[in-house]
Amino acid sequence: MKYDLTLALADRPGQLLRALEPIAKNGGNIISIIHEREKPAEGYVPVSLVVDFPSKQNLKRTVSDLKSLGVSIIKSEEIVETTRLTLIMIGRMDLKRLIETRVENVRITGFEVSAPTSKEACVKLELEIPTNSVDKALGELRKVLKEENAILISSI
Amino acid sequence: MNVLVAGFGFIGRDLIKAFHNKSTLIKEIDKDFKVIGVSNSRGYLYNEGGVNLERLLSIGELSDYPKGYQPRGFTTDLIVKSDADLLVEATPTNIKDGEPGLTFMRCALSKGMHLVTPNKGPLVVAFKELSALAEKNSCEFLYEATVAGAIPIFSLVRECLRGDRVLRISGILNGTTNYVLSKMYFEETSFELALKEAQERGIMERDPSYDVDGIDAACKVTILANAIMKREAKLGDIDRIGIRGITAEAVSLAKKSNFAIKLIGTIDKNLEVAPKLVPTNHPLCVHGTLNAVHLETDLAKEITLVGYGAGKETVSAVLNDVLTVLRDKGKGRSSRPTRI
Repeated sequence: MKYDLTLALADRPGQLLRALEPIAKNGGNIISIIHEREKPAEGYVPVSLVVDFPSKQNLKRTVSDLKSLGVSIIKSEEIVETTRLTLIMIGRMDLKRLIETRVENVRITGFEVSAPTSKEACVKLELEIPTNSVDKALGELRKVLKEENAILISSI
Repeated sequence: MNVLVAGFGFIGRDLIKAFHNKSTLIKEIDKDFKVIGVSNSRGYLYNEGGVNLERLLSIGELSDYPKGYQPRGFTTDLIVKSDADLLVEATPTNIKDGEPGLTFMRCALSKGMHLVTPNKGPLVVAFKELSALAEKNSCEFLYEATVAGAIPIFSLVRECLRGDRVLRISGILNGTTNYVLSKMYFEETSFELALKEAQERGIMERDPSYDVDGIDAACKVTILANAIMKREAKLGDIDRIGIRGITAEAVSLAKKSNFAIKLIGTIDKNLEVAPKLVPTNHPLCVHGTLNAVHLETDLAKEITLVGYGAGKETVSAVLNDVLTVLRDKGKGRSSRPTRI
């Protein structure tokens, strides 16, 4: 699992190396590191890391070790891989119900309703969904639209 | 090799024509090749010495052939009494019970006759049974033309992807619905208008629901699932949504985002026929009556084939299957090297 780990390091020599040790000790594989030395704020330099840890437990231990070394943690979040999906829905549908469909971390990035000349409404939705939730999200939408007697057209 | 042709409709006639026009090529593979019997629902023609193909093509009805016509003769009787090595079964498709083709196929395979067919019906109903019967009697059983007409899917997998594991197949498996959706895409017409034009052009099957409700595509998904993915699928197992509900607005919204709506058959962990958004730069995005099949495998990764799924082009697949049987099983093979 990949994590975004952003630290605030004191602007003194050797601080970066000191901060990397707990990461290595806890099985973290550093994928990228951005050390913004030119942007010190009140004597601290922000360092953004993308680290691959075997589990969330390894991240927790790393954060705890870093804190005991006096390193401030600005952010430690899992990076969720997302997939962009375009969907078209045809039929009479309750948009409120559709939007309330419960799948975590789904972001609507685009929405367009056609001016229908036929009886059926037509909606285009652009979504950003965590990659591992795509099947679940599509399943939920399909279920709702089936109940509404509408058609869901997903991309191949 | 002695050959019987059951069914003397469009495909049967086109095949006889191909046998006649390609006789030099066929004789290079099997110098003893001859058609000894042809049947339709009204009777059969049987001539042990070989039917004169040119003569056969010049007549309207089998009964007009000067010698060997058996009025009201049953195809099963012809299969039983003949000394044929191969049956080409090209009777009309019936997806309800596969008949009459299924009976002819069972009869031929039980007798140890090789079988080539463009007839989907019996394969949709009884693929496993027919495959087992062919294996038990050491018969070739080839059916290239049943899915996507002239596109060589089964031959490709059998001959060229022997070491690959096919993970997923998706494709446009029905040319008529692709014609309707293409018309809607390019001319921004309604579904009803596009359908009417397809009917006027004579490219729609007798019952439009067979095409537009995705039944024909679902039959092909069933065959692909069973033949290539080794599943035990029945037609009823396919999740199926047709194209009746597709509106001009939906096609237009899709187009604005660089998608075309296509009726796609999919075989992976799911078996499905449904309208899908296909990116306009994807190889499956073909228009008009074209079919396209996209294979995903473990080694070759992705392969897409495009071609005609119905009509006169289908004879290409049937002829290639016949030549494959001649190459593999022909008794009177010529000493000249084969061209396939």
